[in-house]
Amino acid sequence: MEQQLEYLVDKVVAELQKKLSERARNGSAKALGAFDGSESPVHVVEEERGANVPNPKWQEGMQELLDSTPARIGVWRTGVRPLTRTMLQLRRDHAAAVDAVYGEVQQSLLDEFSLFTVETQYDNTENYLKRPDMGRILNEEGVRLLLERCQKKPQVQIVVSDGLSASAVDANLRDVLPALLDSLTSYGLSCGTPFFVRGGRVASMDHIGELLQPEVLVLLIGERPGLVTAHSMSAYMCYRPRKGMVESERTVISNIHRQGTSPIEAGAHIGTILSKMLEQKASGVKLVL
Amino acid sequence: MDEQWIQSVGIDVGTSTTKMIVSRLRLGRMSSTFSLPRYQIVERQLLYASAVHPTPLIGADEIDAEGIGAILAAEYERAKISLSAIKSGAVIITGETASKKNAEQIVHLLAERSGDFVVATAGADLEGVLAGKGAGAQKRSLSIQGTVVNVDIGGGTANAAYFYRGKAIATVTFHVGGRLIRLDKRGMVQYVSPNIKSWLMAKKLQVQPGIQLTVEEIGEIAGEMVRDMLDYVTGRDRQESGLLVLGHQLRERIPVEELSVSGGVGQLMTDRPVHTMAQVSEYGDFGPMLGYVLQQERKKGTYLLRWIDPEQTVRATVIGAGMQSTKISGSTVHIKPELLPIRNIPILKLELTAEHLHDSSRLHSEVAAVYDMGQRLFERTTEIPFALSLSGIRYCSYQQLQRIADELTLPYRHQFADSPTMVVLCELDMAKALGQALELRCKGKPHIICIDQVRVEYGDYIDLGEPISGTIIPVVVKTLAFDEHTSIKGGTR
Repeated sequence: MEQQLEYLVDKVVAELQKKLSERARNGSAKALGAFDGSESPVHVVEEERGANVPNPKWQEGMQELLDSTPARIGVWRTGVRPLTRTMLQLRRDHAAAVDAVYGEVQQSLLDEFSLFTVETQYDNTENYLKRPDMGRILNEEGVRLLLERCQKKPQVQIVVSDGLSASAVDANLRDVLPALLDSLTSYGLSCGTPFFVRGGRVASMDHIGELLQPEVLVLLIGERPGLVTAHSMSAYMCYRPRKGMVESERTVISNIHRQGTSPIEAGAHIGTILSKMLEQKASGVKLVL
Repeated sequence: MDEQWIQSVGIDVGTSTTKMIVSRLRLGRMSSTFSLPRYQIVERQLLYASAVHPTPLIGADEIDAEGIGAILAAEYERAKISLSAIKSGAVIITGETASKKNAEQIVHLLAERSGDFVVATAGADLEGVLAGKGAGAQKRSLSIQGTVVNVDIGGGTANAAYFYRGKAIATVTFHVGGRLIRLDKRGMVQYVSPNIKSWLMAKKLQVQPGIQLTVEEIGEIAGEMVRDMLDYVTGRDRQESGLLVLGHQLRERIPVEELSVSGGVGQLMTDRPVHTMAQVSEYGDFGPMLGYVLQQERKKGTYLLRWIDPEQTVRATVIGAGMQSTKISGSTVHIKPELLPIRNIPILKLELTAEHLHDSSRLHSEVAAVYDMGQRLFERTTEIPFALSLSGIRYCSYQQLQRIADELTLPYRHQFADSPTMVVLCELDMAKALGQALELRCKGKPHIICIDQVRVEYGDYIDLGEPISGTIIPVVVKTLAFDEHTSIKGGTR
């Protein structure tokens, strides 16, 4: 009897997983279609969001609520628990968040933009998570590479880092970075040698500032992934970054991803912010935008 | 900049009355400091409302432009508002007035004398929507599930606007208004508008100048007119009532949950009895009777809807024009302040699909088709021929952006070589990136104005105001889609 039950449960679960993975495949195929095939290394799953509520009293009102938030509302229930589908979606999104933290930025992407790589003292991801301070300082090899390969005292220094989400860089860099470079051209600003920092934290910009002494620095870094998206990127900007900077001296545009702040528009706007920083010789709370 | 006030004016030159208001609109930052800036109009305050003046006329079909100028000058004086402080607003020449022969002259005059603001000349459709907003119907529709209709009944026309969940979904205009039949103190008919003659015939109602009517007869005519209009609005019957419609007919029957009546006649909807000829002809027309029979219909409750009181009656349109006509663009845009304001630019729509974004050749031919249409539709001038509106893009990558910019600029510079400025409107938040991509290609020939978060349709005209704090611009979208008074379309160009 017990064995039979176990067998049944196993079969149901296997069936569910098959269905779910099919749906995910269809979803990502759709999302891939939005790119030019070869363009996308990241599987961004965009699903049609519908409520699970059977026979809602007011269908359009339900849809209005769903459209107003990415939160998991209208998910319905079975007994006192969520539906299996909801539960699996939650676990899948959680897994994507974990993958984003442990993943690595694709080398081909870095090559595309001729970004060379330096590392912080993070050592490995486990240590990176436990020791944020070690992600703020480049290792000896990194310092040597920077001094050797980068232009000193540039007007604008662009730095890219994986931070807590490598997939954020994979998903957004192709849109943010060229839009930012165009914006710098429009404003007539010159840019130093951009590079990639593996295992970086936001404050790594201070150490880089000490080494290269740019007038302004922008760090494009993967954000802590959440359950809504694992591909969100931030742009931290600073006027004359140096050791001992306080957080209020940094300006940030966050939540850059397909469903959030538009990547191309963010790239274009970062240029505007940088030019204002140069004008006002300030950043963070002192900057008037 | 976290908040900012702009002053906005509304002027309504109606068939029988003229009024103006001054309001101020507060722009507040809606996004956090960690996001791209995004502003919205978060508060609207009425600063000044003028008295309701009789519209000065010369003869039967000419508006006294000087008279209107004098009224406005006096009202600005009284409101203690300097013209230079006014950044936005709308002038509405309503109803039958718009077909008066010198409407265009008036619009020019008002543009000069009302401050350097964004001027809108409206058609009946926009007028109805603005009146509905002024009367509070739009706001009301956000708090119920069904459709709310506001009918603004003035001297010459009645404008009905249907709102569903905050959106205007349909408009219709009727030849229903107080001044359509004018009476003297004894009930002698002085004037009957030619616009209602075919309807009167179909209804077998004998009304013409020179005949004397009793209070009951006037009540019957007003009753027939009001019931036909309500039948049409609710979709109960559209045969004879269709003769009252000015301009386009409604195609569908839209279930109406709530109804409000604004305008001068809306104000006359009181329980005050209208039994004697003196009471009927108080204003020299049958307006009071229209108000009275509407009130009777409301009491009888023969229509399956809820009657609600409008927030404004006689000033609904002018308040809508002054306080609700202005929108603001997204805050990350590509503009050159010295090129603004730009007025009365027609819209040309480029609707893109996923295929266009993938396939350069399809995008190329689509742009060519739209540009050719622009060349056919809008005369060749040395001015800006049109504003190109991009829609249908759900997400735009940098590569796609480059393709769009390439395809837009080359043929534009070829086909519209005389145009000093290229105006592009996007629905999606991408104006700064696109504007910058276009600018890098054009280098000032033409100049680029690219703004976003503005929704427009074919047939709309758009006014772009001077920037506020350098980044946001006030926008008035003029829906003239069904406007038949083409004479004023050219407006203030």
